[in-house]
Formats: sequence, C-alpha cells, structure tokens
Amino acid sequence: MEKIFSRCEISDGVNFNTIKDERFKTGRISVTMFLPLEEKTASVYALLPSVLTNSCRKYPDFTSLNKKLADFYGASLFSDISKIGDMQALTISVSFLDDKFTLNKENLSSQLTQLLCDILFDPLIENGTFKAENVNQEKRQLIELIESEYNDKKILAKIRCEQLMCENEKFGISRLGSKDIVSKLTPGDIFDAWKKVLKTAKIEIMAIGDLNENSALEIFKSAFSKIKRDNVVKYESEIIKRAGKVKEQYDNLDIAQSKLVMGFRTGVALQDKEVMATRIAVALFGATPQSKLFLNVREKLSLCYYCSAKYDRNKGIMIVQSGVEKKNLEKAKTEILNQLEEIKKGNFTDSELDDTKKSLANSYRTIGDFLSGLENFYLSQVFDREFLRPEQFIEKISAVSKEQIIKAAKLITLDTIYALVGNEEVK
Amino acid sequence: MILKEVKSSRIGDKYFCIEHSSGLKVFVYPKKGYNSTYTIIGTKYGSINTSFKCCGESEITKVPDGIAHYLEHKLFESEDGDAFSKYAKTGASANAYTSFDATCYLFSCTKNFDESFRVLLDLIQSPYFTEENVEKERGIIGQEIKMYDDDPSWRVMFNLLGAMYHKHPVKVDIAGSIESIGKITPEYLYKCYNNFYNPSNMVLCVAGNVDPDSVFKIVDEIIKSNSNKVPECIFPEEPYNVATDRVEQHFDIAIPTFQLGFKEKAPKSRLTEEQLAQTDIILQALASKSSNLYKKLLDENLINDSFGYEYFEGEGYAAVIFSGESKDPDNVSKLIKEEIEKFHKNGIDREDFERAKKLVYGRNVAMLNSPENISNAILNLTFANRELFHAIECIANTTIEQVNDRLKYQLDNKNSSLSVVLPLNSKKEK
Repeated sequence: MEKIFSRCEISDGVNFNTIKDERFKTGRISVTMFLPLEEKTASVYALLPSVLTNSCRKYPDFTSLNKKLADFYGASLFSDISKIGDMQALTISVSFLDDKFTLNKENLSSQLTQLLCDILFDPLIENGTFKAENVNQEKRQLIELIESEYNDKKILAKIRCEQLMCENEKFGISRLGSKDIVSKLTPGDIFDAWKKVLKTAKIEIMAIGDLNENSALEIFKSAFSKIKRDNVVKYESEIIKRAGKVKEQYDNLDIAQSKLVMGFRTGVALQDKEVMATRIAVALFGATPQSKLFLNVREKLSLCYYCSAKYDRNKGIMIVQSGVEKKNLEKAKTEILNQLEEIKKGNFTDSELDDTKKSLANSYRTIGDFLSGLENFYLSQVFDREFLRPEQFIEKISAVSKEQIIKAAKLITLDTIYALVGNEEVK
Repeated sequence: MILKEVKSSRIGDKYFCIEHSSGLKVFVYPKKGYNSTYTIIGTKYGSINTSFKCCGESEITKVPDGIAHYLEHKLFESEDGDAFSKYAKTGASANAYTSFDATCYLFSCTKNFDESFRVLLDLIQSPYFTEENVEKERGIIGQEIKMYDDDPSWRVMFNLLGAMYHKHPVKVDIAGSIESIGKITPEYLYKCYNNFYNPSNMVLCVAGNVDPDSVFKIVDEIIKSNSNKVPECIFPEEPYNVATDRVEQHFDIAIPTFQLGFKEKAPKSRLTEEQLAQTDIILQALASKSSNLYKKLLDENLINDSFGYEYFEGEGYAAVIFSGESKDPDNVSKLIKEEIEKFHKNGIDREDFERAKKLVYGRNVAMLNSPENISNAILNLTFANRELFHAIECIANTTIEQVNDRLKYQLDNKNSSLSVVLPLNSKKEK
C-alpha cells in the first residue's frame, strides 16, 4: 500500500519527515542527530541521549518523567546510538497509543510531541549545567552497557573483527565510546556537547502514524527557530575498495563454542550503481536459508547452527559470522571462502537467483507494515540524492542480471579473519 | 464447521475462527491495508512433554530431553525435499521455534500466500526421519546448544529454573543436552510426531493481508483427521517450596547478570484472563520505571535499562521473575523483597494502580500493530483456553480490590530463588 511520505526542511540541515498512516494502533516520533564518529567525541555524544531522556525541566527526575509516560498509557521514551558508515547517529523517540484507543479519548500525540521537544530543548539545568546526580547515573549505565557487549560473545567477536579491520578508519571506533573517557566526563562536557549537537548535527525528525503532523511540525519549527544553526555536519565515510594483506587474529576465551567472524571489502558502497547487485550477491552467498553458506556450511557439513553474511552499504563491507567447534575453525573458514568463489565463478542457477530476488523483494514489501521498519528505511536514505520507495527498490532488484552479480561478487575481497577461540571439546 | 466472528468494539478489530472437522482450531485476523501475512501453526507439545501415557497403554513412555526441538528441526525435511527450498520458490520467509509447551512453524509473505500456506500445512503432515538425516542434524543442534551454553542470559534463566523446581521438566533446557540428543533416534521422533502432531492438538493462526475463505478452503483440502487420542502428559508432583534459594555460575563476562524468581503454586487448570491482567498490573505497579522500587534501585546504582520482569506460567509452573544486569544482585534481591513486604502490608496505592493499569492496557493494544504478535498471541492464548479481546477487556475492567486480593497469593518472599552469573575474577575473592 502506498503511504504518503513527505519531507520539508524546517531549519538549516533539519528536516521534518512524515509518513501518514492510519493502520497502526500507535504513533511514533523520533529525532535522529548525525555527527562524525570521532575518538574524542564518541563517548560524550553516546552519553547525551540518555542524559536528555533521564528527565527535563518540567519533570525534573527520572521517576516523575516516567510517571507521566505511564499515565500516557505506557508511552515509551527511547534513546539509541547507532553507526551509519563513519557517522554516529543519536536517536531519541517516543511511541504512544493512538488517540482513538485511549480509555477517555485523550489527545496523546500533541502532548507527546511537546514532551519530546521538552526533552530535547528544555532539559533540567542547575547552576548553568546538567545536574551532576543525573549525569552520574547515566554514566554508570553507559559503562555497564559497554560491559554488556563483552558479555555477549557473538557481539564481542563481531566488534573485535570490525575494530581490527577498520583500525585506521573512523568506523573502527565504538558507537558507545570508551569506558575510560565516559568515566571522566563532567556535566559541563555534556552540556557543551548538547549545545554543539543542536547547532551542528544533521537532524532528521520522523513522525509516523495517524497523528496531527501539522501541529507536530509547528512545535518543532518553533523550537528550532530559537537555535542558531551553524557549520552543519556533512556526510563523510571513508570507503576502502580493496583489502590489502589479510589480517588475522585469534583470542582465547573460556567459552564452549568458537565465534568466527570474517570481514570483507565489497568495493561497492553508498550510491554506487552496483549496490543492488552486491546486495543480491551477498544474499545468495549467505543471507537466506537457501544461501550457499546455510546449505553448505550448516546443512551439508553440519559445522554450525548459524553462518550468515551481512552487507553494510554505508561502509562497503560484508561481515560473515559463525559459531563452530575449535577443531572445525579451519574447515569452516575454508568452506566459507570456497562458497564465495562459487558465487564469483557464477556457479548458481537462474532459479537460485530468482529465489533470492523474491526473498529480498518480500522483505522490502514487509517494511511498510512496521512503524520502525518505515522509519529505518527512510532514515537509511537521508544521505542519498533522492528517496526511493520500497517498490522502487524491488524494481531495481528485478533489473539486476546474473553477469552484474558475478561482476559485483568479484569485487569482494577478504580483509580480516577474527575468532574468539573456545576450549577444546569437553564432551 | 461453524464460522465464528469475534469483535472488539473498543479496538475496532475483528477476527474469524472455526474448529475444523479434524479438531484443528483455525483463526484468521485480517489487517486492512497490510502488505504482509503472518501465518503460524503450532502443536501443544514442547520441551516439558517428555513423559506421557499413550491412549490404551498403561505404561508411561519416557523420551529423551530436547526431542520436541529436534523434531522441529527435522520436520523441515520431507521425502520430496526440504521446506526451506519450497518456501524459496514462493518468496516467503519461514522459521520455526520450540518453547516449553509448544512447537510452532511459521512464515511471513507478501505474495503467493496460497502456495506458501500449502507448504506449511504439508510440512507438518509429512514427517521423514531416516538414520542418516537424523544423524546429520546432531552436529547442527549440538552447535545450537553450545551457542546457548555461552550465553549468560540463557544460562542465568535455566539456573534459576533449576533452583526453583525440584522435578518439573521446565527446569530442563529446551534443546536438551549434547548427551540427551545423542539418544534421539528416528523411532523416537516418529513416536512423538504420531502422538502429538494431531490436528486436534493444534492451532493455526493467520493475520495481516488475508482472505478468510481461502484459508478455510485450503485447510479443509489438506488437513487430514487423526482419530487417535492425544496422550496424557505426566508431570511429577512438584513441591511448593523452591529447591534452593541461591545458585551461581562463573563466566568470562564483564558485568554480572541475575534472575530472581518467586515460585507460586500452579493451579490445576490454567489461570484466567482476569488473573493475568491483575498480575500484570501488580508487576507494573511494583517495578516499572515509575515505581518506588525502580527509583530505589537506581539511587543505589543497582540496575540499568536491562532490568525487567515477567510472569512465567504454564502447565504445572508459575513464577514471577525479575532479571537484569547488576554489580550487586544480592542487594537487588534484598530491595525487591523489602518492597514486596510493603506491598503485602499496605496493598497497592490507588494512584499507582490507575497508572499501572493504563500502562498495561496501552502496551497490549500497541501489540496489535503487528500480524506476528497477533498470531503468536492468539496461538498461545488458545492453548491456555484464553481469548485475545477478552484479555484486553479484562485489563480495562480490573479493579483495585481484585488486584489487592490477587496479591495475597503471589510474591511470597519466603519462596524465592536468586540465580547469578558472575565474572571469573569474583571467584577468586570467595
């Protein structure tokens, strides 16, 4: 179903996007702020969204703010940090019940738009800066979030592989910053970062659902009219087209299963015209249950439970992840590379290709049924020349030929092999 | 077959249901304007159903742990190829999962619904287990088990269940162990399949972009009746008290994780929608981000955003479980118990009750955005003899008196277990 996507610039580098959609029981408004990912600033920017969502002038502590959200039928206020190419993206969002379904016909959408603006523009300020108590609370929690990435060994292996692969690129920096820097941040540092973000970040506001988008637009317009925008951030991402000498690193850890991660340069990124061919090549190789990796590494050789490939268009890389026995690490690695060669040699049938295209088309058609799917879909295109609808992606998929896919696959080069190596088989 | 229409005027949604002549319960929940359709079929047979009495037999059959999950993996294969390759032709995205009390097969599609639907219904009716294909799966499932062995949040949960339960099979890992799956044979798989994959033990639900008539027509065409009776599952008598009040394990991790469970007496029949609504409201009033407890835990630097709680209940088990990461899980446990004591003494404050009720109501309505959530909810509610719109209605109609009354039977501070997973270095200190 066609949904109306509209967009307007409300201040220098600040865009207000709406997707009018009456199907959902909830509405959602998010503000995403894009900044260059830098060692020096990653930590303070990572901390900012959680400090802002901790409280605000009107609801000056965590409990009073969350009482208000619960009163609004359990509205959710989220903050999130992600990485898009060499950019750090800070998101603050509210999701709330559509007015139609409230028990006493309340108007939630305009109240929550206002609340989101309060969070962003009207924080709790004491003696000219953020309140130390709130800052310390959020510092501790961010440090624990960084520690929890060490708890999850699949995530840990992937992070370490990306760090090793991109050790001399911005992409190698953690989106959450570092424990050391976070622990030293002062309320003043965060206050300065807040001012800088509002002034310079590229900002995308998304309002999705059956809400009064004009009133939301006016609320944000008036809020941004008070901010002097300057030096607005431009998108930058360093793309390395070909891998050099393969980097390898193995770390021993007290775990039952080894976690293997392989990083590749795809040679194709951002708005290159071959992006869709690369996407299909990666899907054929390892992104569906009919892919080469699933059928061979898992089904044929029984080496693993998971083995899959993921393409990151914003960085021009592909990451392969698998969990195997220590004694099978070599075998899995060899087979993964063999299967990539198969794609490069064009050893896949027209029907395999057709099936893969169908599977990708299915996921594009499904996007529109999720509020967050729609949001991410359009956000992922904000640095592109134009916005495409999911159907236009599907048209692009069907136009890609086998030759184009082989050509795209041939550009893929192995950059880094990393594994967390577990104990010898116990049983 | 009588077609029934179930409507919610409050929500403005409706769904259709029939009981097919085979006993299969079929639900269709059209979502206007959606592109995708989410379809799930499940059998009321999960990891806890390892002891049963087949119809007409006096002996109890005992099968290896993890067999329901193994069966889920193997059912994807049939004599004429595997289901994933058939779904590939239709473009659907397919999967399956096994829980404590159900095994479910699902797909999501935006085109060719009829073809994908046939693949699904064929899949659950064409078992094909050979020595060779059962053997091949052992390596794959073995790696799945080891993946979970490395997952502290999975381990902390099963350690808790092991601490709370003396005998109930809910304490056993869903996938079993490397040792138990070593005993699984084609014969065992056929035995379990033939006994539990009976349409009268199953529920089908389709939500999203769907025409009810085509669903009912294809069901009628493909689903074969099975006149056998579904076996009676045997559960050992489970004492009221927890087996042990604390359990710990050490991992190479950076921050400890915990689960704190309050075991309850599980009723003979499953809890009602009213009781569940009451419990959800109690838990939100007690521990949501706006609660006194949450504030105390934050002030003491004891929890972070990973903190959560749920009501965990099924056939023969029921418990309230709190979970999260914390530098000091024992202290978290202490503060939770202090707050529970206050709740028992004073009852729930009216303002907190109203707030919690709105929160529970809002979150439940929001769930209806997603065809996936709807289908899964209807399936699980049906297995427990509950109904979706009635469950939402019950939340809206819950009173503070009911909630305070229910509280008396829950959260017994004298019957809890704490499970912690700690970093390796904390071992040396002990």
